[in-house]
Amino acid sequence: MKNRFGMRTQIIALFLIVSIGGLVILNNVFQAKQENIHSALKGMELSSQLRDIRHYSSEDSLQAEALMRDFNEAKAVVNIALSDSRVMTSVVLLLVIVLSTTVFIIVICRLSKPLRELKHATDQIRQGNFSVHLPETGLPEMRELKSSFNMMSRELEAIQTRLLVAEKEMIWKDLSRILAHEIKNPLTPIQLAIQRLEERLETNPEAIKEILPESVSIITQEIENLRLLAQDFSNYAKVNQPNTEEFNPALSIREIVKSYCQDYQIELDLAEDLKIRFDKTHFYQVLTNILQNAIDASESGKPIMIRLYGEKSYAVLCIKDQGIGIERKDLQRIFEPYFSKKSKGTGLGLALVKKLCDANGSIVRVKSEIDKGTEFTVIIEGV
Amino acid sequence: MLLFSSFKGNDPKMTNLGYRNSDSFLYVSGIMENAFDNDFPTIFASGTPISVIYDLEIRQGNRIVAKNSFRHTVNYNPATGIYELRKDGRGDLFRSDSVQDIMRHLSSFDFGIPHQPSWAQVQIRIEARLPVVHFDTMNKEVDLMVLWKYKKPSARIHADLRTPE
Repeated sequence: MKNRFGMRTQIIALFLIVSIGGLVILNNVFQAKQENIHSALKGMELSSQLRDIRHYSSEDSLQAEALMRDFNEAKAVVNIALSDSRVMTSVVLLLVIVLSTTVFIIVICRLSKPLRELKHATDQIRQGNFSVHLPETGLPEMRELKSSFNMMSRELEAIQTRLLVAEKEMIWKDLSRILAHEIKNPLTPIQLAIQRLEERLETNPEAIKEILPESVSIITQEIENLRLLAQDFSNYAKVNQPNTEEFNPALSIREIVKSYCQDYQIELDLAEDLKIRFDKTHFYQVLTNILQNAIDASESGKPIMIRLYGEKSYAVLCIKDQGIGIERKDLQRIFEPYFSKKSKGTGLGLALVKKLCDANGSIVRVKSEIDKGTEFTVIIEGV
Repeated sequence: MLLFSSFKGNDPKMTNLGYRNSDSFLYVSGIMENAFDNDFPTIFASGTPISVIYDLEIRQGNRIVAKNSFRHTVNYNPATGIYELRKDGRGDLFRSDSVQDIMRHLSSFDFGIPHQPSWAQVQIRIEARLPVVHFDTMNKEVDLMVLWKYKKPSARIHADLRTPE
């Protein structure tokens, strides 16, 4: 069990118990001694005995009276002095306790303040804020500790900056490589088509009509590919805050799949009574990207199965193909941006799926067997 | 009660504060409880005159319209063993050889103060205190308030003096 009281509280409690307890015990001993003196004083009586003695002359009487007066006065003064000292002792003790406790608490707080600052700064470092620095003040040991901490945070900050620069550079390099590769692919057929048209124009301009439709078709197709490439990058970069709404996923799946059913064999097994909270556009993108992946991997005659069912408070969407499958080592990287095993692909589709699922608080999983197929599972919290 | 001390002392309390008025005088009376039980017999027996002082204050609204102090003084003669209590305000004098008897008389007070016709609804406040006494033989000055733990008992009462009671 975690200790409920901090070290500071424990030290204060220990101080109160030991020092104040000791002072109270000491006071009680003195009070008891003073009480004994007080009792003894009470028992001292002279007047009645002296009055009973026969006095032979008026001088004797006067002396006896003076003696009695002196004795009684001294007794009264001692009594009051004793009472005063008992009152003062307790008042002084109370003041000492209050003062020493206050001073002790202030000292403890001042001692523990740098430790609290250090804890706070460590928390910030843990959260990734390496710019935190502590004022190098206080006791020499604390100054040394804070100085070491500041040195550490400065070094961490420098390392973080270097890492960020390196990471940025790496991302740009990767992106440039992918973009160059993806742009180069459609550019080659375009260039070839244009060259063919130029050749024909130089050698036999009348026969240009023979190859014109095919060349235009190639150029148009490749431009469309470039447009789709640009759209993929744009989609991946544009994922913003989801605008979630409550809807029936079965209805949405049917609508989305309708356009694919004419060309591909898709089997549906959908629980109709489920409701989820998800961004509808994101849901469309998730389903179409996974479905496109399944279509690309599938051979004709092998249907793709889409299953939707409820599990506890979740809706589970499974998209299973019977394609070539994905190798185990590639499965770990499948949701990484720009990772693709397809000859035509940016590697952004599944990365986008993962990003959209994360944004909507859902989980996407994949399992695959070579030559048997791949299954994507999206787990969405139900309403 | 004092924290951290076994000192008993006295915890005086002023009770039964009352008044009555005639055409020319306003009388204020009350009782002091638990004021003289401990330590006072020894102090009285010193033979030095010991006084209890009552400060009377009469306010009309926020204005003090009358203020006076009265003393009750105990004097003891060690040769005869007789206590004498003189009460200011009424001019009463008691003599007794019993300190208990004297303390009983000392525990009540009754003062008269000239009544101004302008007084209507007033607040009567009375506070008791003990003086600093000089013991000649010992040449020592002591504050007797220690016997009351430095607390002055007081009481107040609202009085309507427009009609004589």
